[in-house]
Amino acid sequence: MSEATSDSEPRQLAAEARNRVRFEEEALELADQVYRVARRLVSSREEAEDLVQETYARAFRSWQSYTPGTNMRAWLLRILTNLNIDRGRKQQRTPDSQPLEEGDYFLYNRMEQTSGTPAEERIDQKLSQDTIVTALSAVPHDFRDVIVLVDIGDFSYADAAQILDIPVGTVMSRLHRGRRILKRELAERVGA
Amino acid sequence: MGEYCERCEEVMQPFLDRQLTSEEQGTAEAHLSECAYCNARYTFENELRVLVKKACNEEMSPELKAKLASLKETQA
Repeated sequence: MSEATSDSEPRQLAAEARNRVRFEEEALELADQVYRVARRLVSSREEAEDLVQETYARAFRSWQSYTPGTNMRAWLLRILTNLNIDRGRKQQRTPDSQPLEEGDYFLYNRMEQTSGTPAEERIDQKLSQDTIVTALSAVPHDFRDVIVLVDIGDFSYADAAQILDIPVGTVMSRLHRGRRILKRELAERVGA
Repeated sequence: MGEYCERCEEVMQPFLDRQLTSEEQGTAEAHLSECAYCNARYTFENELRVLVKKACNEEMSPELKAKLASLKETQA
């Protein structure tokens, strides 16, 4: 009996070490994607780098709370968004009821007016990377978080809801509204 | 602008996200096949989404990548 216990213990430890190595490898493979999302959630590059480092430090410490087979990218982003809030980013309470006059065709119509050509023609020349990034950073946090997770991070509505700890219905309404706000911000910048 | 155009603008996002009921989806598709006005705006929205994603495709520095790897608790 005693022999069996002393024998299984090192085996268990070895299995745990292997699991940990696998976890670390998998997490590091996701680092680029985690960074891309982080970079758009905060305003500066330095802040994003700090946040990602903190996230990985915490993830490596508490790797055992991750359930293998579940979405690790969502798990990492959950840590990151919580850290971001802990660091003092105030949860903005943007009134959802504030009317937004512009509909979804607004940006197209505006661009057609200013350039006199169909807006879909050479869209990449009309909207530079810089314009898009600045316009996105002007979108209020609550809305931007959802756009960044779903449209840039490719998370499902359900994953975004879990990461941000809000209902799926709220994810959808913020996403729809957020995209309209983004288009309004873009319209202000292309017309200028 | 046709009769359905206003509704078509309203359903654009759920349409592109494939969140509409099949009936609504069908109505919108039928409209889009014959309305150049809405069709151009849907095409634009699709292109815009791709462009936004591409604009935000910023890579992290190799230094940060190395730092993250050094944070590992197990040093192989």
